[in-house]
Parts: sequence; C-alpha cells; structure tokens
Amino acid sequence: MSQREEMVFVVDDDARVREAISELLESLGWQAETFAAAADYVAYAKPDFPACLILDVELPDINGLEFQKQLSDDVHPPIVFITGHGDIPSSVRAIQRGAVDFLTKPVGENDLIPAVRAAIDRDRIQRSARAELAELVRRLETLTPREREVLPLVVSGLLNKQAAAELGISKITLEIHRSKIMHKMQAESLADLVRIAEKLQIPITHSRRSGSLQECPTRSP
Amino acid sequence: MRCGKGIAGLSYSMISPTQTSIESGIRSVEDPQLCFVGQEQPIMPIEIQDHKPVVEALRDREQELSQLINMVPSHLWRLTPEGEPTFFNKRMVDFLGLDVPDMDRRGKSRLEMLVETVHPDDAAEFRDTLNRCLVSGEHFTMRYRLRRADGLYRWMSSRAEPMRNHAGRIVHWYGLCHDIDDQMHAEEALRRSQQQLQQMIDAVPVRIWSITSLDDPVYFNKRYQDHFRAVIADFEAIEDPRIETLLQELIYPEDAPEVQRTLLNCFESGRGTVMRFRWLEKDGAYRWAECRVEPRRDQDGTIVQWYGVSLDIDDEVRAQEALRNRERELSLLVDMVPSNLWRLTPEGETTLANKHMADFLGVDLQDKRQLAVVFDTIFHPDDVDAVSDVLGRCLKTGELFSMKYRLRRHDGVYRWMSGRAEPLRAPDGGIVQWFGLCHDIDDQVHAEEALRRASEQLARATQAASLAELSASIAHEVNQPLAAIVANSQACHRWLSAAPPNVERAKITAERITRDANSAADVVSRIRALFRQAPQTRSSEDVNHLIGEVCRLMADGIAAKGIRVETDLEPNLPPVALDRVQVQQVFLNLVRNGVEAMDGAMVDGARTLQISSRRDAIDAIRIEVRDAGTGFEHAERVFEPFFTTKQNGMGMGLAICRSIIESHGGRLWMANNETRGATVAFTLPLKASESS
Repeated sequence: MSQREEMVFVVDDDARVREAISELLESLGWQAETFAAAADYVAYAKPDFPACLILDVELPDINGLEFQKQLSDDVHPPIVFITGHGDIPSSVRAIQRGAVDFLTKPVGENDLIPAVRAAIDRDRIQRSARAELAELVRRLETLTPREREVLPLVVSGLLNKQAAAELGISKITLEIHRSKIMHKMQAESLADLVRIAEKLQIPITHSRRSGSLQECPTRSP
Repeated sequence: MRCGKGIAGLSYSMISPTQTSIESGIRSVEDPQLCFVGQEQPIMPIEIQDHKPVVEALRDREQELSQLINMVPSHLWRLTPEGEPTFFNKRMVDFLGLDVPDMDRRGKSRLEMLVETVHPDDAAEFRDTLNRCLVSGEHFTMRYRLRRADGLYRWMSSRAEPMRNHAGRIVHWYGLCHDIDDQMHAEEALRRSQQQLQQMIDAVPVRIWSITSLDDPVYFNKRYQDHFRAVIADFEAIEDPRIETLLQELIYPEDAPEVQRTLLNCFESGRGTVMRFRWLEKDGAYRWAECRVEPRRDQDGTIVQWYGVSLDIDDEVRAQEALRNRERELSLLVDMVPSNLWRLTPEGETTLANKHMADFLGVDLQDKRQLAVVFDTIFHPDDVDAVSDVLGRCLKTGELFSMKYRLRRHDGVYRWMSGRAEPLRAPDGGIVQWFGLCHDIDDQVHAEEALRRASEQLARATQAASLAELSASIAHEVNQPLAAIVANSQACHRWLSAAPPNVERAKITAERITRDANSAADVVSRIRALFRQAPQTRSSEDVNHLIGEVCRLMADGIAAKGIRVETDLEPNLPPVALDRVQVQQVFLNLVRNGVEAMDGAMVDGARTLQISSRRDAIDAIRIEVRDAGTGFEHAERVFEPFFTTKQNGMGMGLAICRSIIESHGGRLWMANNETRGATVAFTLPLKASESS
C-alpha cells in the first residue's frame, strides 16, 4: 500500500497501545509517528503534510485536554482523543475546543478510520484556507498606502464619487486606484473583491445600505 | 553650838543644855590633862542646884556620853589643828584596827599614818584636801575608800569641821565619817544599769519614742534620731521635736492623716494602738512600718508617759502582699480553670467546689451546707450507685478515683464528665483530704459516638466504593492491553488482506496480540488472586532479575522525565519463592510512585531513583526504593486504601503492595528521608512458603 502524503501523530504513554495504534494506522496506509509524552510531540519537527493528532487523555506529563488548550493558540493538526475511561463532560469540552472525535479504548478501525480521515480532511481544508489567505495577504501587501485607503471604501459599497469625496480626491483618480486594486488583488468583479476583503478581514468602515456620509466616522471637513 | 552642829543628827536632846559641861566631860575622859579647861564657871550652878555629889553626876554623864560616842553608827574622830589625830571613837578603832596611840610610829607623823589608811587611789586627794582645809579652815568633806582592819577598802563619806576658841583660833578638828560603801555600790549598779538600759534602748533594732503629752517634745532613741537625721535635712535645727511636724516629714503623705488621727484618738482615749504606715527611708524609698503605742500609768492610773515602738515591717508586708497576691492568683486559677475542681474530707464530704463547678451546678459557693446537699443529688440516677461504690472504695483504700459519669447541670441537663480524685496525705501517710477534678467530656462523648457511627457508615461506604473503584481500576488495567489487542488484530487483518499480503508485519502484530492478551490475563488472575486470597503460585525467582525487568519496562517513561535510576543490588542473592506477577506489580508500583513523586512537584537537585537489594539478617532479602521527591505528607495514611495524593490516583497502590508483601510473609513500610523524598522498603523471607 502506497504511503500517502498524510501524517498521523500518536501520543500515548502506554507503549503497547502506542505501538498497536501506529501499526493499525500504517496497515491503513498512513504514516504514523508515536510519542510517549506531549513534550516529545512538541519537540518533534513535523513535516508539512495534512496531519492528525491522536492524543491520549491520560498523559504522563500533562492532561490531554490541558494540552489541547495549550495548542489552541498555534496552528496544529485536528485532534482525535482516545481515552481509557472517557466521561461525557471531558468529551464535550474536547469537542467544543475543536477536537474531531473523542474515542474510548479499545479503539477499532471502524471508529479510527473515519475520525482520522475527517481530521486529515479538515487539516487539508484548513491548510488550503491558510495557503489562500497567505496568497491574499501577499497580494494586499502589493497595494500602495493610498490604495489600501481606497479598498475599504470600495468594498463598503460606496459609490465612486462618494469614496472620492471621502478621500478628498477626484472621481477619476479614485477610479484609477480602484482599477489598480482590482488588478493587484486579482479580483474578477467587485463581488469577488468584497469576498477577498472579507477573508482578509478588512473592516467595513462605511454603511453599504444607506450610503449615508453621516454615519462615516472618518468624514473629512 | 558649833560643836553640836558637828555631830548633828545624833541624839541632840540628850545633850545637856549646858554645852560646855558636855565638852568638858568628854575631855576629861579622853584627855585628862584638859580636864581643867572644862571646870569653868558655868558648871557651878549645876552643882549648887543638885544635891547629889558632883563627881558622881559627872561620872554618870561621862559614862553616858562615852557610850553615846561609841555607839553612834559612824566614825568620829578629832584632829589637832595640825591634823594629828587625837581621838577615834570605838567604831573607828574597830574599823581601822588601830587606835590613836597605835599611830605613833617612828619617823612618821600620825597624819601620815592616817593617810596610809586611805585607798592609794584616793590618798593623794585626801591629803591635799585635808591639808587645804587645815590651812584655810574650810570644812572638810570628801568621799574616799578607807582600809578596814581586814585590808578591805570601803567607801566612806567624811566630813570635818574646826572648833575655834574665843580668839577664833582653831583648837580642834572634829570629824565624822560613815560607811557608804553599800550605797556607793548600789549607785554604781544603778548607774551601770541605767547605762545598760540606755545602751539597750539605743541598740535595739527598733525605733523608740516617748512623750509625756502631745504638746511636749518627743524623746527618740538613737536609732530614731539617726533615722531622722538621714531623712530630714535640717533635723538638728529642730529645737523641740514635736510629733506632728516629724510625722509630716517622715510619713508617706497618703498615710500621714490617718496616723495623725489614730495618734490623737489614742492620746484622747488613753488606749494603746497599733498603726501601719509607710515612712521615708534614707535611700528615699518608702517602707512599711508598724508603730505600737502604749501608755504608762502610775499607781493612780493616771497616764504619765506614752511609749511608742516603730519597726520596719516592709519585708513582712511585702511578703504578705505577695502571699495575698499569690493566694488571689491561685484562687483565681482554681476558679478560672475550665474544669470542675472539688475537695472532699477523708470521709467523703464535699468541702469545696470551684466557681466553674458552682456555676455548672448552679450552687452558691458560700453556702457549704447547700454544697453538701447538692452533691448528693447531682449524679445521673443510672450512675449514682456506681459512683458511690467506686468513690466509697477509694475513700477506704486511698486508691485514685477515676471514672466517667453524668452530672446534672443547673438546667437539669445531664452531661458526661470524666472525674478523677487523688488523696493528699500527711507525712504519716494518713489522708488529709481528697482533691478532685471533673472535666466535661459530654461533647467529646457525643463526638466519639458520632465518629463511631460515621466510621461505620464509612466502612460500609468504602466497601461499596472499593468495589466500584476497583472495577474501574481493573477496567483500566485490562483495557490497555485490550486496546492494543484490538488495534493489533485489525492491523494484522489489514496486513494479511493487503495485496500482496504483508506477512512479516502480520506476524509481528500477531505476536503482540498474544503478548498483550497474556498481559491482560495476568492482570485478571492477579486481581482474582488478590481478592480471593487464594494460595498463590510461587516460583523461585531472582529478585535482582525482577528489579532489572521492571527497570527496563519503565525505562522509557523514566528517561522521559529526566530521572536517573541507580541500582545497588547485592550479587548472588539466594532465590526467593514468590508470585512473580504480584511482586513485579509491587516493584512497578513503587518505581512509579517514586518517579511521580520526583516529577509531580518542583524538585531541585538530582532526580535519582535508588533501588537497592541486600540480605536482611540471614533469612530475608530487603529491597529499598528511595526517591528524592516530595516525600509523604501523610505518612501514616499511605497504606489506607483509596488514600491518594495523586490527581488521577486511586489510592490502592501501596495498600495492595503491602498486602502482596504480607501475603509473602514479608513486611513493607515507608519513611520520609532525612533530606528529601521518601523510601519504601520491604522484606521478602527466604522461606516464604512457611510463613504464607
């Protein structure tokens, strides 16, 4: 069975379980890397593949749920928890914090395969979203300062003359900026540009609905 | 008349009115040569008036006079104007042991002889005085010691006057001396006794004063004067020390008015008194003094003098005060001690109860009668017989009384007491009284009861809990190998189902399945063994080998925590018959505990787990697992089932370990290390089968 470019990390203090899970994963075609403690996992230099983290709740160095909380600040693969004696509050908390699944040992392939697959798929999506966002950020960075001023006004839905008045420039100038923005951001339409701006979380400073200048907080005199 | 004056005090009336005839009579007897002098005219009328023959009458008279002179209880003598003795009366002759003629010695005048009879210490003065008088004609008067015939000197009081003739020339000196020796000695004794008295008054270590009336100056003995001198700056300047002024100077201002009042009252009423006050001492401090005042009355009962004695009683007062304070403190202590204290006579009658007890019983402390009555009614009806039995026996035998009983409180509620009493014995061993204490233990008794009930409940609860917890523990212990088996078996299936089948991997996983399944089975059988207390299967095992296995098994986890394992194993230990799985479990447990102790908390220094094995005496092997962790906080509780300090622990570990070791006939114990961490040690007897 050919190895996919996917990775499964297994953290469990029981060597037998660790060994068996990774064996099963490998028999299913995944690359598996095992760790006896959370700290070992953190220290490991992870390859840039879509991945899944199978985490035992009872770890020797840290509680698995606590470890999840620590990881939440960073980019990390989706987590599938396994536990000897799972309780409902822990599982709810784990899922709320974004765990893919919370499995009770013994864990068979019927549970493991969908969970790992879902996790890796989610990671893939997250990765591509991160990659797309990175591209958009790169494009945003090509804008001039003036263009960056124009962008929020345009995506807020202001008419060209309104936006021009807002910045105290002529409508013609504004239209030139707008066209350059469209080009640099590789937007095919205004709607496309609005979506991009949304992904980049560019703040909508002006009301699109009313188009009223009265509501504009940065109105010039 | 002049002569008559010289013998004044004698029977003057017997002397004839014709003075001269007496003189002539005397002379005629004493000095016949001078008889003519006496026969002067004035005698004649007697002769004419009397019909008796003159000579006869004269003889009678002379006889009479001579008797008189010799019988006078004094010495009479006569000297010439030059001082030569010419006459001694008989008493003088008897005293001196010599008469005038005896004084005629060759080479010495009579006067010199006379001087010789005077005490050598007085002789010079005697001679000088006499000579002066002889020359001047002054009366001679002197006291001196005169030698008696037996050589003893006696004090004499001597007087002599000259008799002059018509021309004023001294004709004779007439002298008289009488024995004043006894008087002198009495005076001397008196003087000495007065002196002694004065010395005593001045020397006694008290201050004495006397006063006739309040307005008179006070007499103070020397000590008192010294006292005043030391305290009152210008004491010498006070002319007549009045008692009032002195009191003001001397006595503590607060005490002075009272002393003044008492004294006045005393003088007015005429009754003695005793006063206490503070007076100033020379060091500027006030000290306590006591003054006793008594009047001296004459035979009529009139007060002639007041006497006062003041003495320093400061030490005594302070001692008394200290004693009083101590007494007060003790009585306070007795009352405040949060226990009931009581005292019994040897017959068992209550004579005292402290305030605490009185309050408890609601009795008036002062009323002893009430006390006795109350003590008959305070015991719980169920206890009263037992208490009186025991107390009666103790009173009889003198053994200590100690028992628990219920006492009725003032509100009628009975409360449990722990009562004790001990006898106080006199030196002869007889019991003087009993001192008892009873302590309210009602809350304690109820608490104990509650505790007992709680512990019963707890025992039942733990039985239930142990089953629940244990099943969870068993579930976990079995679940881990099961989890591995499930995964491995599916992996195995996958490897075999692959195209082409990966038989090598499949084989490996199949072996693991076997291993893990055995492991699960081990756990199950071990637990079964533990709980059935069934005779275990014993195999002969090398303990060091077992330790090595466990270390290898745990190596990963231990290394991951940065902990080093040091083993100090005595080589060639004899094999021990043991249950391999169980003892391995003990090792695992102890090693895990040690590792967790060092990992669980912030522990400085080397994280080293030391495992040692050695022969313990001849018949056992001793194994120690020593960590450098946090040690046990509750060392006495670690063997209790379900006692745990670990967040995820079940608290069964050490309890199970101990029961395993004990089932092997060994002992398991633990102790905190002196420096840090703890050591768990256990022994395994070499002949385990015999002891199990």
